[in-house]
Amino acid sequence: MTGMLRLLFSVICFAATISANADSSSRDAEQIVRDALDHWRGISSHSEITMTIHRPKWERSMSMRSWTQGAKRSLVRVTEPRKDRGNGTLMDGNKMWTFSPKVNRVIKVPSSMMSQGWMGSDFSNKDVSHSDEIVEEFDHSILSETEVDGHTVYEIQSVPHEDAAVVWGKEVLEIRDDNVMIEQRFYDQDGALVKSLRTLEIAQMGGRTIAVVQRMEKVAEPDEWTEIKVESVEFDVELSDNVFTLSNLRNPRD
Amino acid sequence: MRLLGIITLLAWRNLWRNYRRTIIMLAAISIGVWAMIFMTALMRGMVNDMVKDGIEALPGYVQIHHPNFRDDPSVSNLLPQTDAEISAQFSSAKIDAWASRVRVPAVISSEYESRGITLFGVDPLQEQAIDAIGSLVTEGRALQGVSDTGVVIGHKLAEKLDTELGKRIVVMSQDPDNEIADRGYRIVGLFEAGLAAYEETMVFAGKSTVQDMLGIGDRVSEVAVLGTDYRDVDPLLNEIKAITGGGVEVLPWQDLNAYLGSMLGVMDGFVLVWMIVVFLALSFGLVNTLVMAVFERVREIGLMLALGMRPSHILGQIIVESIMLLIIGLVLGNTLAYVSVVPLKGGIDISLVAEGMEMFGAASTLYPALEFRDAVTANVVVLFLGLLASLSPAWRASRYEPIEAITKV
Repeated sequence: MTGMLRLLFSVICFAATISANADSSSRDAEQIVRDALDHWRGISSHSEITMTIHRPKWERSMSMRSWTQGAKRSLVRVTEPRKDRGNGTLMDGNKMWTFSPKVNRVIKVPSSMMSQGWMGSDFSNKDVSHSDEIVEEFDHSILSETEVDGHTVYEIQSVPHEDAAVVWGKEVLEIRDDNVMIEQRFYDQDGALVKSLRTLEIAQMGGRTIAVVQRMEKVAEPDEWTEIKVESVEFDVELSDNVFTLSNLRNPRD
Repeated sequence: MRLLGIITLLAWRNLWRNYRRTIIMLAAISIGVWAMIFMTALMRGMVNDMVKDGIEALPGYVQIHHPNFRDDPSVSNLLPQTDAEISAQFSSAKIDAWASRVRVPAVISSEYESRGITLFGVDPLQEQAIDAIGSLVTEGRALQGVSDTGVVIGHKLAEKLDTELGKRIVVMSQDPDNEIADRGYRIVGLFEAGLAAYEETMVFAGKSTVQDMLGIGDRVSEVAVLGTDYRDVDPLLNEIKAITGGGVEVLPWQDLNAYLGSMLGVMDGFVLVWMIVVFLALSFGLVNTLVMAVFERVREIGLMLALGMRPSHILGQIIVESIMLLIIGLVLGNTLAYVSVVPLKGGIDISLVAEGMEMFGAASTLYPALEFRDAVTANVVVLFLGLLASLSPAWRASRYEPIEAITKV
């Protein structure tokens, strides 16, 4: 399932460079999804992002710095606004910890909180922490291939396995042939659209073409959405192992 | 003997001398007795329901847990024995009606909602033997075997989750290392329980499936054993303590659900207090009637004393009079109570106030329970306290000075 982490990765990492020798038409659906994920797996990144949470009566933005390494590990720390500065989330595989300087405690996010919103956004903790399950726990099939702005866009239907820890009836992914995720839609088990993650802006950044602005929206609440904007990004940076540790979550050394 | 006959005859005639007063008094006594017995039957019925529902939900009269399980009912407090060892212990002791289950707090999620629940990993065959709620499926099917990959949830929970039979839900919990353990399940059955709280919080799945999800091998959280009478569980308790050995906590349902356990004790006390309160109201009428009866007959009593009747016989006569009054009243009251409880045996529908009743764990149909010992208590209370109340006027009557009494205007 896509979530914050996947979102971050997709925003940061889905680069425009397709591997030159990949014959896209011959790839099957699972391979397209896997390629999209493999594309950012194993590389590291350091980025500055802004998350905007919009509600009918208010809207607020948070600036964050994020480090990622491979598919499993990531660290996100809030820099603005001032009152939230230092709030952080560390993810390692399916494990997730949060830290708030105000209470000066690292809290391991328990299963009971996995369905709650991450930092008050429309992404749940579960969305955020389950990074690569979309490849392993879904069956993929190509619904259509269309030409948009000189790119082939694959529309892929992903149906979760019977025992997958996924509530959706199905997900539909639109992935461009340069591995940029255009849209991800979540359907309930009656086939009704529940929420969607759309890419609003694609641009060159950090030497790659990436989705710069993505928005998560729920169908039931059209006035409520969460938008993630990449302000700057560096790819393939050197990160020491202690970036992704609980002590670094608690005591930033960057 | 002849004397007793005369006293009785006099008492009987005196009773009907002022029949209006006697009838009013009889009405008061019989309505009082009726109120005691009828109300007690209703309250008993309510408590019985609560206890029955509570035991059904637990279920099992005696349960075995890890000593820390009740403080922290989590996956880290599993029983030290494996399921196979437990099974061996019970079969060697020839106890059949038992079920072992995995019981962990969990979160259930649909596309739209998620809620906190208690996940039970059960063996459907064992659960049927002890009539657990999860085997009372009203829609869909019950679980089939320990490795069933479906779940049975309550109707109310399905409503709250905005999901339905045949759809998939995700259950999340924690494994012994505090890692997230989650899995998708398909809803194969819906159950209905008397209480919404059970429907909303109990989710049943196959035992092996849950054990796999949690990564706990062949371990379980609790064993529930059904006995024959929930009021008398001590023999069963001792037997189970003997076969399980140390390292585990074996508790009867009264301790597992202290609220229900103390309910029964409180009820017994409450019944007695209720009867005495009703009687106190009644006793004013009774004493008044007897005092009046004595007052009216001062001259007559004086004459009897003057003719040589002993004061003790006067005393006896008044007391016999009040006993007759009480007994006739009791007979009427008991009949009235019996006649009014019997047509209600099928239950009284109180769904109008069901939500309020649920707050303290009672269901929406009330089955009055007329218990013999309650009726006996009511009768004994009325007879004993009635006699006590009539002693004072009788004593006064027997202490009259004959001359004074005869000349009293």
